[in-house]
Amino acid sequence: MAGAAGLLAAGCARTADRPLQLWAMSYEGDYAPLLMPAFAQATGIAVEVQSLPWTASHEKLLTAFAGDAMPDVLMLPSEWVGEFAMIGALAPVPDPRLLAGLFEGTRAAGRYRGRDYAVPWSVAPQAQFYRRDLLAAAGFGRPPPAWAEWRAMGRALRRRRPDEWVFLMPLNWWDALFTFAGQTGAAMLRDRDTRGDFRSPAFGAALAFYASLYAEKLAPAMLSTELQDPFAAFAQGSFAIYPRSPAMLLDLKRRRAEIADNAWGVVRMPGPNGPGPASGISASLCVAAGTRRPDQAWALMRYLTDAPAELRFQHLIGSLPARRAAWTAPQMQAPVLRPFLDQMAQPARMPGVVEWERIRIEVQLVAERMVRGELSLPAAQAMMDRRADAILAKRRALLDTGLVA
Amino acid sequence: MTRQERAAWLFVAPVLAIILLVLVLPALLALALAVTDYSIYALADLSALRFIGLGNFTDLFGTPLFWRALGNTALFALFGVPMAIGSSLAAALLLDEATVRWKPLWRVVLFAPYVTSVVAAAVVWQFLLNTRFGLLNYGLGLIGIGPVDWLGNPRASIPAILIFVTWKIFGYNMIVFSAALSAVPHDLMEAARLDGASRWERFRHVTLPAIGPTLLLAAVMSVAGFVQLFAEPYVMTMGGPSQSTVTVLYFMFDEGFKWWNLGQASAVALILFAIILLLTVVQTRIGRRYEWL
Amino acid sequence: MAVIMNRRLLRTIVSNALVASIAGLTLVPLVWMVTVSFMPRGESSHFPPPFWPSRWSWENYHELLVRRLIDGAWFDYRIMPALWNSLGIALAATVLGLLLTVPAGYAFAKLRFTGRERLLRLLIAALVVPTQVAMLPLFLAFKELGLVNSYAGVILPGLAAIFAILFVRQTVLGIPDEMIDAARLDGAGEVRIFVSIVLPLLMPITVTLAVFLFLASWNDFLWPLIVLSDQHRYTLPVAVAAIAREHAGDGELMMAAAVVTTVPVLLLFLALQRYYVSGLLGGSIKG
Repeated sequence: MAGAAGLLAAGCARTADRPLQLWAMSYEGDYAPLLMPAFAQATGIAVEVQSLPWTASHEKLLTAFAGDAMPDVLMLPSEWVGEFAMIGALAPVPDPRLLAGLFEGTRAAGRYRGRDYAVPWSVAPQAQFYRRDLLAAAGFGRPPPAWAEWRAMGRALRRRRPDEWVFLMPLNWWDALFTFAGQTGAAMLRDRDTRGDFRSPAFGAALAFYASLYAEKLAPAMLSTELQDPFAAFAQGSFAIYPRSPAMLLDLKRRRAEIADNAWGVVRMPGPNGPGPASGISASLCVAAGTRRPDQAWALMRYLTDAPAELRFQHLIGSLPARRAAWTAPQMQAPVLRPFLDQMAQPARMPGVVEWERIRIEVQLVAERMVRGELSLPAAQAMMDRRADAILAKRRALLDTGLVA
Repeated sequence: MTRQERAAWLFVAPVLAIILLVLVLPALLALALAVTDYSIYALADLSALRFIGLGNFTDLFGTPLFWRALGNTALFALFGVPMAIGSSLAAALLLDEATVRWKPLWRVVLFAPYVTSVVAAAVVWQFLLNTRFGLLNYGLGLIGIGPVDWLGNPRASIPAILIFVTWKIFGYNMIVFSAALSAVPHDLMEAARLDGASRWERFRHVTLPAIGPTLLLAAVMSVAGFVQLFAEPYVMTMGGPSQSTVTVLYFMFDEGFKWWNLGQASAVALILFAIILLLTVVQTRIGRRYEWL
Repeated sequence: MAVIMNRRLLRTIVSNALVASIAGLTLVPLVWMVTVSFMPRGESSHFPPPFWPSRWSWENYHELLVRRLIDGAWFDYRIMPALWNSLGIALAATVLGLLLTVPAGYAFAKLRFTGRERLLRLLIAALVVPTQVAMLPLFLAFKELGLVNSYAGVILPGLAAIFAILFVRQTVLGIPDEMIDAARLDGAGEVRIFVSIVLPLLMPITVTLAVFLFLASWNDFLWPLIVLSDQHRYTLPVAVAAIAREHAGDGELMMAAAVVTTVPVLLLFLALQRYYVSGLLGGSIKG
């Protein structure tokens, strides 16, 4: 037991001289260390970055909060900010200047009960990357902007190359379905966000369109875990269309040897009658409520969300700055960024409830079962509503008692 | 108190205290937690915590995914236990053959997968089971069986994980059975042989009764093991495809630590406990009936 | 006579060939894991799947294990710290586990004290309680005690090793009472009897138990996954699972990670397999 106690003591004693901790997911986490030397030079503050896997980050952050092991600064997808603000894990933004000059709509997701808890960092709307060569061979200069023609293009491509797929949309990624839903204007929740609204005609239209792409064998009923390397599949021409966030730009840069620069292009996602609001994962930065060095944490926050660092990051990983001022820089005038900029002007509105992340995953799971032929469209919609209602039960109860606004 | 008694308490008290603190008390607390609606809202503010009686259980019984997790777990146990026990017994019987040489070597080799970490082995098998580049499909292709989408087809995912788990654990029970087989009375076996009993008859009437208790114990432990499957789907499939590999424990982990519904998750844990208890009792009863115990 | 000899020979060949091929199949995943880990990146994603690297390359291990400086910033999978964490945690769990359970197992077998039989029955009953039932309340308790995300928090639940107590007790029951009584008549204290008479006799099964405890701690996954949130504290399985979820495409890198996780325990097992396997065999088979 003495040994265990010793270990425990050793564990607690080291926090004081540790570098400032920054946790981020995916490429942001992998590449953020590259931004740190400049910060350390300017301020003398050492920063250590930990990269979390996307699929395990929600539970990691919650246990870190419960275990009083939060980092000083953390990245959160914008949809999670409300949830973490509610449990008291985040510090409110003390300086309004941090929130000045942002793209419309990016700030709203970081608000909880009238206070701001997050500074938008990068914006990642979804767009579609396409293979110029494959489309040209089928007589298309670029993917058509409306659903019906887009799907017709898919059929044409499939006819020309019956052994290959057209759309790379793994069944466990919710982006595509929610992009389509955003474009139809489906609200998805109703009654002050206490019940699912997936039986609405708007959502039904999006779901039907989504499922039809699999039913017509234009997209494979596969999970991302099976596609060992989606990028390679796109580069090798197994797929002609790959809806993705700007992070794809990094892959295209890193793996230039696999696909030539003139072999691909990027345009906005198609909508029912042309492009509309699309969803995407926008990353925000937050300072943990329990940080022992708030001044240094906010200094890091200011540095990371300022235009120069955002531009450096854009150059590194393709993420798009949330700050308007950054967009006047020459590097932002590249044509490949144009579709993303246009899309940013039209963000899809997602419900701002703490249960949203879970609902979205449940809805995608039901959609997967429908795609696999286990459920009809109405049955799938009904099941989505049932699952959403069950997840929101606690929220309904708390709304009645006034504990939740 | 005698000297002996004092020493005894000195020896047993520390470990009993730990068992009490990290196993018994928490297990009792789980009962208390299961009748509350402890959720992420309670993490924010304990005043949001309410007593809801059996609410978690009725909620669970109305949750399709819970039933699916139960069903998946049942499939894992139903096919996994015979597969694992059968292959262990087959290997042990083979190693028991008088003609087999280098037995210690084979024992070590066959046991090796058991000592590897589940996570690392699952990573390896994820690649072995790959549809296009996996060795397993390549091997099947050589004997004319078309590629199986092991981890992507909801019907193939459970068999895929079962193959992996069997590979991983059969060595353990093989050793246990080897020990039991070596205790099979030799004279009885010789007598049966002289009586002209066939190989199968000798196995059925001499070997099986002798190793019955060991077999039963192994079955009880295997059932408990398969009911507690977690790391395999966590690493290999994340519960997919189509939630076909979500097990009870996976469900509990997601419910409890991903979404922080600790009340609900505790109810799941208690149901898991009840299932294991029930299966143990049933298996013991069956064992008694056949006088193996 | 010749026919019988031939049949016997045939049986020898068939049974040995059968055992050898089963052993070979069992080893394929492990050997493949090692060979792929030495392949240049991307080589394993070809058909037919290559079993041997075209050239042996250390690049996967280099990427995995060495903290690299790129453009003035550190890139790190933190596998080496995880290796040390795993080693430290497993060693601590083993030593503490032995200190706690071996004396207790002895006491339950040979020392008379009130309530012994009842406690023993309770222990056997508690064996049925799956540890997962205790996990959720335990997490909340550890949260209050500040043990979440600490090494102690990882180790503590594993110390409630009831099976180990019963395992030791079973062996101690085989030690003749006369030996212990003789020492008592000579005036030796109970602790001294345990240390100088019983413990030497228990050495073989103590080694067996140590290997059991070490492996159980090294390979444990669910609880460390729950209780550790800071990557500096991750154990190897938790770290590897995190990388696997993010880098599922990098087959060769993942195989290197699997090698790093499994090889230490495989070596330990090979070194001590005589004790370990004989512990399982219960001493009934020699060699």
